[in-house]
Amino acid sequence: MADATETGEPLFSAKNRKTFKDPFMVNNPITLQVLGICSALAVTAQLKPSLVMGIAVVFVVAGANITISVMRKFIPGRVRIIVEMTVVATLVILVDQVLRAYAFEVSKQLSLFVGLIITNCIVLGRLEAFAMGNKVWPSFLDGLGNGLSYAAVIAIVGFFRELMGSGQVLGFKVVPQALYDNLGYTNNGLMVLAPGAFIILGLLIWVQRTVSGHLED
Amino acid sequence: MRSGPYTVVFVSTIAIVCSLLLSTAATLLRDRQDQNEALSKKENILKAFGVTKKMDGAAIDMFFTDHVELFAIDLEGNIDAEVDAAQLDMEAEDKKTEASSRRYPIYRCTIENEVIYCVPIIGRGLWSKLYGYLSLESDLNTVKGITFYKHGETPGLGAEIEKNWFQDNFLGKTINDQTGTFVSIEVVKGRAVDAYAGNEEKLSHAVDGISGATITSRGVTKMLHEDLTKYVPYFKQLEAN
Repeated sequence: MADATETGEPLFSAKNRKTFKDPFMVNNPITLQVLGICSALAVTAQLKPSLVMGIAVVFVVAGANITISVMRKFIPGRVRIIVEMTVVATLVILVDQVLRAYAFEVSKQLSLFVGLIITNCIVLGRLEAFAMGNKVWPSFLDGLGNGLSYAAVIAIVGFFRELMGSGQVLGFKVVPQALYDNLGYTNNGLMVLAPGAFIILGLLIWVQRTVSGHLED
Repeated sequence: MRSGPYTVVFVSTIAIVCSLLLSTAATLLRDRQDQNEALSKKENILKAFGVTKKMDGAAIDMFFTDHVELFAIDLEGNIDAEVDAAQLDMEAEDKKTEASSRRYPIYRCTIENEVIYCVPIIGRGLWSKLYGYLSLESDLNTVKGITFYKHGETPGLGAEIEKNWFQDNFLGKTINDQTGTFVSIEVVKGRAVDAYAGNEEKLSHAVDGISGATITSRGVTKMLHEDLTKYVPYFKQLEAN
């Protein structure tokens, strides 16, 4: 693959902006490519873990994209997947260690799933599809865009699951107690279970494809 | 196509750089992580004691020196003063082949005239080991508090064991039946009032389960039973005196 940008191209050229923006709508990793579903189901029962998970993924995807892009001309083709996995795993363990030192409470909630970022196909997918064939700056933008769009989707899923499943947002009660007492409103238990995430993701994909007019080939 | 030796050298370099990076990070962050662990453990013991006041690290250490004693007991209920209870690893003790050589830690907290006992509880949930503390009021029967400080259960499901709504269920429940025989506390499926409607006796040893986390709930029931059993002889001795 040839380099996507010529030297001397402005940092925020139309092409670079497209690289950053595309993942949000046109080529969203979750709702269009349907990647990274496992973690999107696992951590989204509440909004807060979803947000922290989103930040962790942004860091890992962007960091791995930069690192691999820097080394892309030196990585022997036959072992590139192994090299990519090593870089990703290193970054993920770093995130995990830092969380444990500086955000102890959240890391306790997430510990298992932070480790699972290593197997998130979005990360490896971006390395293979973009960072191996592009310069550092566009690769960084691509990683940032994909990470943030993943974060945005799981934040939306987390928001609705927590709202409908527990009547809370970020741990604060938002559904008034009177609704439970007087109208017999109950939290939707299905929403805290994995199928709840499937349903919300399905609806999101439906909405997004209706808006963007995307059809499977 | 690159040559074989190049590939080997390249991959080795990557491996070495990555491992150096990680071991440096782990070493630099170790102190902070250990502090967090230790503090979180103490905070949880305090929570189990029913001390709800917010305290910082130094205040917590002060409280421990002033009010809390830690010592080791054996399975017969005798205090073993020769063992450093702070170093005891409950899981390692469980594995010792000779039951008579096992020692278990117990905390005693004296606030004014009230004496509270607190014991560590360890068990298995769905994905992970569950670590927590349970404390009993001076009657050695009524639960004063319970906490879980380390686990790897699913957020929103099994991880609800660390939430107040779940832990508050235990308050005031009793571990002995009316004749004083140890029965432990059971986490039921669904709500305890539904499971044991009209049965006051059963209800006083049962708490609400977590919907969607049956295996974690069962794990809690099992760990409470197994770990509290170890301390029953000691409690009996205390009562006898």
